[in-house]
Amino acid sequence: MSPTNDETGKSTDGGTSELFSFEATEEVTTSQQYREFAYEAFYLPAREAWRDWRMKVGILLILGYVLMGLIAWVSSSNFAFLSSVTIVETPSANQFGGFEYNDQGPFQSLAYPLGTDGLGHDIFGMIVHATPAMLKMTFAGGVYVVVVATIVGTVSGYKGGLTDSILTTISDIVMTIPGLPLVIVLAVMIDPRNPWVVGPLLVIGWWAGLARTIRAQVLTIREHSYVEASRTMGISTPRIIQKDILPNLMPYIMVNFVMSSRQVIFNGVGLYFLGILAHGSYADNWGVAMQFAYQQGALFNPDYTYQLLMPMFAIVGLSFGLILCSQGTDRLFNPRVRQRGTGKTKNEDKDEEVTSTIT
Amino acid sequence: MALFTVWAVATLTFAMIRAMPGGPVERMVQEIATQNPAMSRREINAMVEQRLSIDPDETLTEAYISYMSGLARGDLGESTFYSDSVAEIIIQSLPWTAFVMSISILGMFILGIGLGALMAYKEGSTFDVGSSVVAIFLSSVPYYIAAIALIYVLALEWSVFPLSGRYARDVTPGFSLEFMASALYHATLPAASFIITAWGGFALGMRGNSIQVLGQDYIRVARLRGLSDRRIALRYVGRNAILPMWTSFLIIIGFMFGASIILEEIFSYRGIGFYMFDSIDRRDYPVMMGTFLVITVSVVISVLIADLTYGKIDPRVSEGGKDESY
Amino acid sequence: MSSQESTQRSKPASYTTPDPIVEIRDAEVYFEMDRGVSRVLDNVSVDIERNEILGVVGESGSGKSMLASAMLDAVVDPGILEGTITYRPDSETAIDVLSVSKDELRKLRWEEISMVFQGAMSSFNPTMKVGGHFEETLKAHDYDVGEGMERARELLADLYLQPERVLESFPHELSGGMQQRALIALSVVLEPNVLVMDEPTAALDLLMQRSILSLLETLKEKYELSIVFITHDLPLIAELADRLAVMYAFELVEIGPSEEILRDAAHPYTRSLLNSTPNLDAPLSEMKAIEGAAPDPVNVPDGCSYHPRCPLADEECVAEDPDWRPTFTDEHQVGCFHWDQAADAIPFNIDNQGGER
Repeated sequence: MSPTNDETGKSTDGGTSELFSFEATEEVTTSQQYREFAYEAFYLPAREAWRDWRMKVGILLILGYVLMGLIAWVSSSNFAFLSSVTIVETPSANQFGGFEYNDQGPFQSLAYPLGTDGLGHDIFGMIVHATPAMLKMTFAGGVYVVVVATIVGTVSGYKGGLTDSILTTISDIVMTIPGLPLVIVLAVMIDPRNPWVVGPLLVIGWWAGLARTIRAQVLTIREHSYVEASRTMGISTPRIIQKDILPNLMPYIMVNFVMSSRQVIFNGVGLYFLGILAHGSYADNWGVAMQFAYQQGALFNPDYTYQLLMPMFAIVGLSFGLILCSQGTDRLFNPRVRQRGTGKTKNEDKDEEVTSTIT
Repeated sequence: MALFTVWAVATLTFAMIRAMPGGPVERMVQEIATQNPAMSRREINAMVEQRLSIDPDETLTEAYISYMSGLARGDLGESTFYSDSVAEIIIQSLPWTAFVMSISILGMFILGIGLGALMAYKEGSTFDVGSSVVAIFLSSVPYYIAAIALIYVLALEWSVFPLSGRYARDVTPGFSLEFMASALYHATLPAASFIITAWGGFALGMRGNSIQVLGQDYIRVARLRGLSDRRIALRYVGRNAILPMWTSFLIIIGFMFGASIILEEIFSYRGIGFYMFDSIDRRDYPVMMGTFLVITVSVVISVLIADLTYGKIDPRVSEGGKDESY
Repeated sequence: MSSQESTQRSKPASYTTPDPIVEIRDAEVYFEMDRGVSRVLDNVSVDIERNEILGVVGESGSGKSMLASAMLDAVVDPGILEGTITYRPDSETAIDVLSVSKDELRKLRWEEISMVFQGAMSSFNPTMKVGGHFEETLKAHDYDVGEGMERARELLADLYLQPERVLESFPHELSGGMQQRALIALSVVLEPNVLVMDEPTAALDLLMQRSILSLLETLKEKYELSIVFITHDLPLIAELADRLAVMYAFELVEIGPSEEILRDAAHPYTRSLLNSTPNLDAPLSEMKAIEGAAPDPVNVPDGCSYHPRCPLADEECVAEDPDWRPTFTDEHQVGCFHWDQAADAIPFNIDNQGGER
């Protein structure tokens, strides 16, 4: 159990998927294997996925947000020459001149394209400048869920016995504890500020469901003859997991990464909106902009509704992008759906049936 | 298993109240001490114990035992803000949450399953593609945003539905038709927020399952055997496609209990979620922990029921348990 | 009747039998695909004699299953079926299967011509008891349920199953062999005259295969069935079948009485097929795989479709599709120009393959 944990656990902090982090440390032959694996697990599906319109739109949407995040980062950065570059100004109170009348409607001036809120903050600026924190949070949450679930699921499915019983019991318990209340209680207790911490906290129990799916999958895959073959050839357990099992699990992992990212957004914005997560500034979360607007009665005054609406669009847009991606991958990895109507004979679908009834 | 989960959560709750540095116990002791400088340590402890069911001076084990035995007796402590016991607050708020949830689940299930099956039957048609897009889009809308939109349009602009509350003020609670109607009327918007944002997931799931079932050999055999389309749709496609969705049903129960915290706050709907939010706002730890515990227990019980019934309705899982993959 | 289709591949019917219960003429199944028309059944004409067992043999993907589906007008959806299929419940009446009304077709299927699919596992509704399948079938065809269930029990008992236990079980609670036998019982519960079996034993172990085959013989006698048994396993069916029909590349290439085909297979493909089948008696070194690959349904070779793999092929074979011709006997027919050289060109690994014992 320990070697697997160490190896896969390494990248919990990190950016890229854990599977890449070995490449450099391994000798040539294995690095080639990883490249091959990467080709099969990422490149081929990615190419296939691009043909699906949902995937295409989804990826473009997400890239748009990443771009927005970059703009915000460049604009607010003090790093070397970047300090002088400001594309979108950091919003501040009373940006829009007057003290008596701060609210400017949307689409009225180029300087404040989405208008300003009751305190005179530029709404577009608030959205843009909250993007980096949103993306960090979302990404951290997604990675956390996937990494924990993969470790727990594969280890428990592969090891079996006592390890399995313990891990399964823990997953079962975590799965039953309602997510949001726990998150809220923890948020109140811990009062986190760093988006890298907030993200995982928001989906703290989400790994359990995925871990169970992965475990079931591992159990099935384990019986496949090629894994059996690797085992008789004396290849170590963690190796088998990496080489034979993980590639088969990629679809589940990817879909769940996307879905838990979305959950981070939902929960995060909700908690910032209600003020349960303490906010330093509008740059923490789109929910903060919503909260400002809500507190100033934007809901009850039709003239100010745009203040609530604009951040809402940002949220829905990002989550729409994520869902489109997950729908796209879902289709991608479900050959049954893909093949229908192309007139293939039914024999080819046979394998698929087996796996799908199992999940 | 269910009991074990409840125990684990209770322990977790205890740990959070008692063991956390700067946690509720410490904070409360300080609070009372600053408010009533004259109070003796003993009196302060007594007050804290009455509210949190935890005596700050007890050892961890003693405190744990007395906390747990208090829970077993149904003693959840006393609100620091309302003069009621936590148990009382929960008893009069939980049914309302359950009420909204039942309507929502029913609504999203009917809508999702019906449309999903229809989409599968018309796979590839404009209807299918259109509904899929709508379903995907609506599931990317957070429920609280749907709630805000609903309030804005239906409660404020058009005044078709009430803005907040559980029933009209001039109606006396009881088993009268008037009261029921009023309760239903007030629950419509909160339930609609759930239904609008969650039916899409069910529909897409149902669509996928149905398409898969429709491709199975046994459907073909059933057609050859001359069974009526109706029977095939209900007994074959319907049943086999709906059963695997029972699990998502379980997940949605837990999800909705959680979501009720945000939603009930927006609608000022005094269910259990409302009180939990309220208690967080007021740092009313006993209520906060009590509601958390009760929500967990409710979810555990719902899941248990659903689990047991699933074994009854799907013959494939009745033996060997739901975990067994083969 | 047989020549109204004027495709260039059209062949006259192979040997017609004296009292056919089903006549298939120029049956053709094709799918329109992006890369062209995929013809998965190509002008097949064959008779099924009353009360015979006809074995249809071919590699996977040779169009056998399509032939089976065609007999019930049950080709899967995007596929288009053309040709004529005539069902003769007795020597006087003739029913054109492909032009009957929807209602009549519904009655025809299962009541007259029934089918056992490959993979019994997936032929049962997993959430319904096996007994439920029998009942709903009887009800759907307005049969007397009580009487029908009595017959079902008898059938199950004939197949060496415990009727009550099987009827009360869910499909997944039965073993593969039990499911397959239950499926056979289900397919004859309405007392059909013709039973089409598509690879019914493919998923079972050898022992189970054998025992099901021997049960079929009994069943056939008792219920006066005509059986079409489709398989890729030539030796398996050879003992059971009265006649064999060999398919290659979506068309029939040889047909004749079983013993004759086993002894004097006239088509080079049939001979190679016999040589490539594992046989306990034959040493492994003698086994020969057929070189080359089966053709793609979109792009079947011109002329004789077997010519790219055939050692006897010459220009004639490339240019022209061979007609049916009688061989040693009239009943034994083959679609090959050089059938008389086949025996010399492709000798059998060992004389007298399994069948004659």
